[in-house]
Amino acid sequence: MSEVALLQLIGLTVVGFGICILLFIKAKFLRVVGFVVIVLGTFTLIALGVPQMPSLPPAIETFDIAEVKTPDDLASIGQKIFFSKGQCALCHSIGPSESARCPDLKGIGAKLAPEFIYESLTDPQAYIYLDFRHEGLPKEYPARMPYIHKNPIALSQQEIYSVISFLQKMSGEPISIKVEDVMNIGKESEVEVASLTVNGAP
Amino acid sequence: MKNHGIIENLKSLVPTVKPSSLFGWSVFWVLVLLPALVWAQDAATQAMSVEYRDIPGLGSRNVVWVVAQQHLLLAGFVLGVPIFAWVCEIVGWKTKEARYDKLAKEFTKLLTSAYATTALFGGILLFLLIGLYPKLMAYLSDIFFPSFIVYCLLFLLETVTLYLYWYGWDAMQGNKKTFHLFLGFLLNVFALGIMIVPNAWATFQASPVVVAEGTAIDRAWAATWNPTWWPVNIHRLIANVVLGGFICGAYAGIRYLLAASQEEREHYDWMGYVGNFIGVFGMLPLPFAGYWLMREIYQYNQQMGITLMGGFLAWLFILQAMLIGVLFLGANYYFWMGITYRIPGSERSYRRPILAMLIVLMVCLGVWMTPHSLVASLEEARKMGGTHHPLLGVFGVMSAKMTVANLMILVTFMSFIMYWRAGKQETAGWARIAKAVMGALLVIAGIAVIVLGVWGYFVPAIIRINYFSVAQVLIVLFVMVTFTPLTAILMKSAKTTTEMVWGQMPIRAGYALVSNAVMVILLMSLMGYARSSSRVHWHIYGVMRDTSDYAYSPALGYAAAFMSLNTFVFCLLVAFIFWVATMGDKGKKIPDQKEPEPAKIPAGVTPAMAGGSPREQD
Repeated sequence: MSEVALLQLIGLTVVGFGICILLFIKAKFLRVVGFVVIVLGTFTLIALGVPQMPSLPPAIETFDIAEVKTPDDLASIGQKIFFSKGQCALCHSIGPSESARCPDLKGIGAKLAPEFIYESLTDPQAYIYLDFRHEGLPKEYPARMPYIHKNPIALSQQEIYSVISFLQKMSGEPISIKVEDVMNIGKESEVEVASLTVNGAP
Repeated sequence: MKNHGIIENLKSLVPTVKPSSLFGWSVFWVLVLLPALVWAQDAATQAMSVEYRDIPGLGSRNVVWVVAQQHLLLAGFVLGVPIFAWVCEIVGWKTKEARYDKLAKEFTKLLTSAYATTALFGGILLFLLIGLYPKLMAYLSDIFFPSFIVYCLLFLLETVTLYLYWYGWDAMQGNKKTFHLFLGFLLNVFALGIMIVPNAWATFQASPVVVAEGTAIDRAWAATWNPTWWPVNIHRLIANVVLGGFICGAYAGIRYLLAASQEEREHYDWMGYVGNFIGVFGMLPLPFAGYWLMREIYQYNQQMGITLMGGFLAWLFILQAMLIGVLFLGANYYFWMGITYRIPGSERSYRRPILAMLIVLMVCLGVWMTPHSLVASLEEARKMGGTHHPLLGVFGVMSAKMTVANLMILVTFMSFIMYWRAGKQETAGWARIAKAVMGALLVIAGIAVIVLGVWGYFVPAIIRINYFSVAQVLIVLFVMVTFTPLTAILMKSAKTTTEMVWGQMPIRAGYALVSNAVMVILLMSLMGYARSSSRVHWHIYGVMRDTSDYAYSPALGYAAAFMSLNTFVFCLLVAFIFWVATMGDKGKKIPDQKEPEPAKIPAGVTPAMAGGSPREQD
């Protein structure tokens, strides 16, 4: 029996117990207890009826830089980080989206130099670039870009370069980040692949 | 940290001490405090070697969850009640009506009974935290130690003041009353301090400000003044009043159901009314405080805001809407029953407005509870063109929810105004114009709130959040601050056409009061889970990661079962405390006392509080 089914069974038992108290017991205080029990049991049953999504901590995967042979390998790791540990996709879209909370990143790798992207990630307030939408008036967003190399996201140098590689590849640009440069930064790093999907969220 | 636990534990002994020996205890505590300061540093160093301990079978987090929730709920009650007990005492002092003084004393009696249990759970919680989360507690002790001292001193002062306030009640009547009121004021000042100091520790975990340089006091102060500290302080202060009011209302509701005489029924009917009034009074501004808190969270860290409102906790807000909706319905239903049973005959003239209000409330609740996306199978989702329903999806966004929340507050406020005016006839010459102005204002306010809500769909989120939502809140507040004094002035010269009859409410009124209290307790438990879960896998967001086996937030169903368990345990605990507190009253009763005649309020009695009050019973 699953945990949800077990809790539902307990909830139903509690509600039934409360109904029995109201039906068969005359003592007023106990009847109030029965009423409270029915309310609490019903609340639990309703809560068990909505999507059950625990929030799991990010699983830690080893990112062995020695396995990176080509710029495409780097971009592939960057893609993973973009949608997981980096939490980029939480606010940014790839392609136009009216509901996106932050600028659309489609084609950004072709439009901006890697140095500029690096600065935007590590010192996001240094230069505010407003022309996000590629059309019409610049759009201002309420969100402030977090410092991506500091907690709570805290990407390593290698991870930041991987993300830049991904942005360049996604924009159809040749990847200008050199694998040797990234390898020289450090031998090994850790990539946390978090499950950030919000399927079923209202 | 350990010295703090000792003091917490010792505090639980205080209720057994006579007031005369309080000074001795104070000296004793100070003597204990000094060596314990050194002890704390050693303990913190040792604790660094062990990160976590567990309780097999139960799980350390589950145990801490239950104990922390009991402590928090009891603390909310203990800190909320002095506020309105003191206000009641002031009303009694200013109006010279002894029944308010008696009511304030009864509130304080409940407070003194709950105080010791609150401290006891605080002590247990502290020992559990030190034992089960030594690394986290060592870190927090290192940052906040100066504030621990302040907290202990505040507790000393609060305890002394509470004992003087309670035991000196009868002795400080007459010309000493002003000093007693001053003690009540001090009690509330210290209570506020006791609330905001631990709030700093809890809010630091969500929005930490870590300063490496400076003295211990500099670092503690920087960590205390973190971005969510004051929003949480204000939100909790109001919520404590709501919790205290509704729990006192539930206490009165149960006593009303158990009442053996008409006199008791009248008294507890009135007390239930006052409790519900206080709860509703606090509940009206509470969503605004919650909105401010969420804004601050978003400004501090957008990821945290999204986790709360759009991530795995999004469904939690549907449950929150359900609980708030039931609470609004319960509070309004109690007002409407009051109109029907306490003011006989007036239900005829108010039947239609009540029906209209019920429909508005139900529609608003329906919109508020509409999820942004639906639980649908793949096939159903394909048919809909996504998980967003083509029609209902419109109601699932913040613009719609803010609008209905404001409308529900407006309706509840109008229920109260209606109750206030029932059974009275305005005599002032300008009454007609005033009523017309109020009617027009209400309609304009309602329309403006809806227009802003619809307009909110067509503007960028930043405009809606910064301007439209704020404007909606201000419109509702404007109605409240305009109508209340205007109605008070109108009612001052109004003549009573139907006398208020107390003690005639049906049994379901008592259950409505109990239901309101249960809803508030569940709401506090639910939002505590939300606040804690918004930190995801961090003890201190972005600073100290949770590396224990419990570094996950359980799903809503499991969490709701825990919330229900906590609520049930808390209700039983409070019932036991109140039962013990009122045992003495039963002993004082004369066994052969005859039941008095049903109360009749003498004509011309001016109600001192909206809705009136029963006759003098002293």
